[in-house]
Amino acid sequence: MEPQRKRRKTEESDTFLWEVLPVLSEELSQGIEFLQAYAAPIINKKDTSHLVKKLAAMYPLEGLQHIKRVRACRDKHSPHPLEIIVCLASDLNSKEEGGTIPSITALLHNSESDCTGLGEPFLVKIPAFPPLTRPQFEEASRHWPTSFHEDKQVTVALKGELFSKDEKATMQKYMEQAIEAAKAGKEEGMASVGALIVDPDTDAVLAVAHDCRNSPNPLLHAVMVCIDLIAHGQGGGAYNYKKYPACHFVPTDASHYLTNDNSLPSVNLSSLEQATESGLPYICTGYDLYVTREPCVMCAMALVHSRIRRVFFGVISSDGALGTKYKIHTKKDLNHRFEVFKGVMEQDCQKLSQL
Amino acid sequence: MGTPCEGCSLDNRGVFHPCAEEIQKWMQKAFEMAKDALDNGEVPVGCLMVYNNEILGRGRNEVNETKNATRHAEMVAIDQVLDWCHCNDKDPGDVFERTVLYVTVEPCIMCAGALRLLRIPLVVYGCKNDRFGGCGSVLDIPADNLPQTGAPFKCISGYRAEEAVEMLKMFYKQENPNAPKSKARKKD
Ligand SMILES: [Zn+2]
Ligand SMILES: [Zn+2]
Repeated sequence: MEPQRKRRKTEESDTFLWEVLPVLSEELSQGIEFLQAYAAPIINKKDTSHLVKKLAAMYPLEGLQHIKRVRACRDKHSPHPLEIIVCLASDLNSKEEGGTIPSITALLHNSESDCTGLGEPFLVKIPAFPPLTRPQFEEASRHWPTSFHEDKQVTVALKGELFSKDEKATMQKYMEQAIEAAKAGKEEGMASVGALIVDPDTDAVLAVAHDCRNSPNPLLHAVMVCIDLIAHGQGGGAYNYKKYPACHFVPTDASHYLTNDNSLPSVNLSSLEQATESGLPYICTGYDLYVTREPCVMCAMALVHSRIRRVFFGVISSDGALGTKYKIHTKKDLNHRFEVFKGVMEQDCQKLSQL
Repeated sequence: MGTPCEGCSLDNRGVFHPCAEEIQKWMQKAFEMAKDALDNGEVPVGCLMVYNNEILGRGRNEVNETKNATRHAEMVAIDQVLDWCHCNDKDPGDVFERTVLYVTVEPCIMCAGALRLLRIPLVVYGCKNDRFGGCGSVLDIPADNLPQTGAPFKCISGYRAEEAVEMLKMFYKQENPNAPKSKARKKD
């Protein structure tokens, strides 16, 4: 009796109406690019290894190590069960009249002896780059077999299964506070956007902010306010928010940075060292930001400068810089990158814009 | 308040486009600021915002004293313009639409976003910023299609670029504890 009741209870609180998804780099999220290639049936299966060697010497397919040279014929009733890639379409002189497929002798430089063992060529599409995600792998494999080194975490993240129910409950708790702040900001005549910065290792909310762009400073977007509140918490700060009680911070003990806090993951320790080394206040090192809508380019870059660890946002925005117009957090040229997740309490965050 | 010279012009938005002499005059001031910062061990970036032939904002990097990594010279100068508007009962929107930013180093992506949000019409800068530059180097914020992010702006780049780079190099040499200090000092 008892266990059953318990199970039902968890099931109820475990239901979320939202899904949290990673905002991946272009590389990981784009579709597969294909190249045109000529393939030909292998007439006698026994010649396969010989043909593979010969073609590899003649047409090495450089930079395409992920391509499997031979595949099983898709037509089960075909007299020739294996097919092999002869060469890329671009390997031939582009003088070929468009559309017509060259004969196997033409592909093999008219050397009759080499042509034995291969049937007439046909065009196929092969993936130009190794697939990085399972969706890319599946798309690639529909055209030609490809090797794939799966990053299990990316696969899980793409299915929206990276976070446990407990973790999602924590996200919901923080986003609810950001939504509350957004509503308080709206009452003050601001854009209805709220943000919150938390230290995920101690579960301590360090700053809560709403947008203040209709104060004398039009650049005080919620994220900029939140960063400045963290600076206040560390004895700095540039603006005064006394007029806006919903914007507040918790003073952080400076010794937090100096103690051997075991709970800090090593990845943050290294960036912390960098921060102290250069003497610059990378104030958000190790912290997570929750914000009701995708930040603009100014705010996104401010998060790079502040060395935020992760960003969770609710809804996308049309000029957003963490997925929509740019993916500032994945840019290789910049000196700090971070993870971004979208969709946390998406519908509730969406409703804010209708206030 | 002076009137712009004949070489300067107002476009149909009423935006002031400075002539070569005007640019030279204000960039000279910006370079003096950068030099001054370098002599005081600060990031050698000079930055000023000019409205109606008057300097309304002069910024220097205040990241360290505010512990806020977003307090770049441009952001500080913007705040001074906002203060001026407040004290002189001017609408910041009108003022920024006619304000030119002169800065020795290309604004970063964040500052470029801020300038766009404020609808600044023109930025004149010295050297490129390969690490964070938001006006052509890493991203091109002034020209990109961002209809919700203020207005596109024009850039004039490369003004006394070598000199600006040289100052930054000297600064980072001083910063780097492994670099011989005497060498950096000999240069000036
Ligand atoms: Zn913003
Ligand atoms: Zn900047």
